[in-house]
Amino acid sequence: MSSTRTLLLAYLATGFTVGFGHCIGMCGPLVVSFSLRLKDHGILIPHLLYHCGRILTYMVLGGIMGAMGSFAMVAANIALIQKAAMFFAGVLIVFMGLSTTGWISLVKISLLDDTPSGVLSSRVGRLVKSQSVITYLPVGLILGLLPCGPVYTALLGAARAGMEAQVVYHGILSGMALMLTFGIGTVPALFLVAKLVDMGWLKSRDIIYRVGGVLMIGVGIYFVISAIRY
Amino acid sequence: MKNGAHQVTLLFLLIFAISGESIAAGKDQSQINCSIQDGPCIQEVNGHKVTLEVLPRPVKAMHDLIFKVTIDGDVALSKPPHIDLNMPAMDMGRNRVSLKSNEKNIYEGSGVIVRCKSGHRTWRAAVNFPGIGIADFIFDVIY
Repeated sequence: MSSTRTLLLAYLATGFTVGFGHCIGMCGPLVVSFSLRLKDHGILIPHLLYHCGRILTYMVLGGIMGAMGSFAMVAANIALIQKAAMFFAGVLIVFMGLSTTGWISLVKISLLDDTPSGVLSSRVGRLVKSQSVITYLPVGLILGLLPCGPVYTALLGAARAGMEAQVVYHGILSGMALMLTFGIGTVPALFLVAKLVDMGWLKSRDIIYRVGGVLMIGVGIYFVISAIRY
Repeated sequence: MKNGAHQVTLLFLLIFAISGESIAAGKDQSQINCSIQDGPCIQEVNGHKVTLEVLPRPVKAMHDLIFKVTIDGDVALSKPPHIDLNMPAMDMGRNRVSLKSNEKNIYEGSGVIVRCKSGHRTWRAAVNFPGIGIADFIFDVIY
């Protein structure tokens, strides 16, 4: 029992350090985008919902790894889904960027287009336009699938726990618990980044929205290109 | 206004931290000291030659790999050796391969080198022999 507790604490600490060492660089642009979108709203609940969604996805992946006891096999099977998630994230950020700058009325354009990309635009546009904070939960659920080195490393541990478990059920629970603590550990760094952008003085400057919007479009294109090359 | 200046400074620090990742990754290539795709690599630690071989070749990320380590000379280890896998340019979390001895001075363990979304492929395998030292092997993997 104490070794389990030690392992969970180690995962919490790993999530915390990786959050500042890795997540800020790789997922920072995402949370910055969210904060900029929440122009006149509080950021606490939407960001918490996003992190809850992300961590729930980590837990499901951890449970699968724990059940299968093999990282490489599961990773190979979810690679395509992760590629799609990265592509989706890129499109989402580009749309958020366009919407933040106010350059394009997304829904107007997408409603005139009934091609598959137009339908996607419509869906994403609706998501971006939505003012309901609850939308951050499904966004987190999907973006939890983004290919990410430290998440893979944590999942390696979940698979190992599954391999060592006497019963499949224990493997699933261990995998989920490890990913839960890892995910919680990554929250402070990303929340700090989100809070940094959510400062009244900054948010009252239109130029910040223009610059932030352009930055988001660039990041979104980078995600789309990464997804194609992944 | 002074407070606002602090905030802009912080924002620029954030952007710098984000862009710093790609700058750091550029340094990876200059640190490579092992051609793991071609065969075993050798490093010296406190007078001991440490050899690392990773199989199967080509060494691919996201695949099950076998890590074979040998050390020459008389060694008395307080604990079993292990390998810590990470990227030189970015923290990828704790990825430790435990090594077990099959015969004298020869150790083996299994593990996985994960893939980074950034596309950077340079990894460090820090082979740690407790009480002796750490041999750093820096090499490229295939995605």
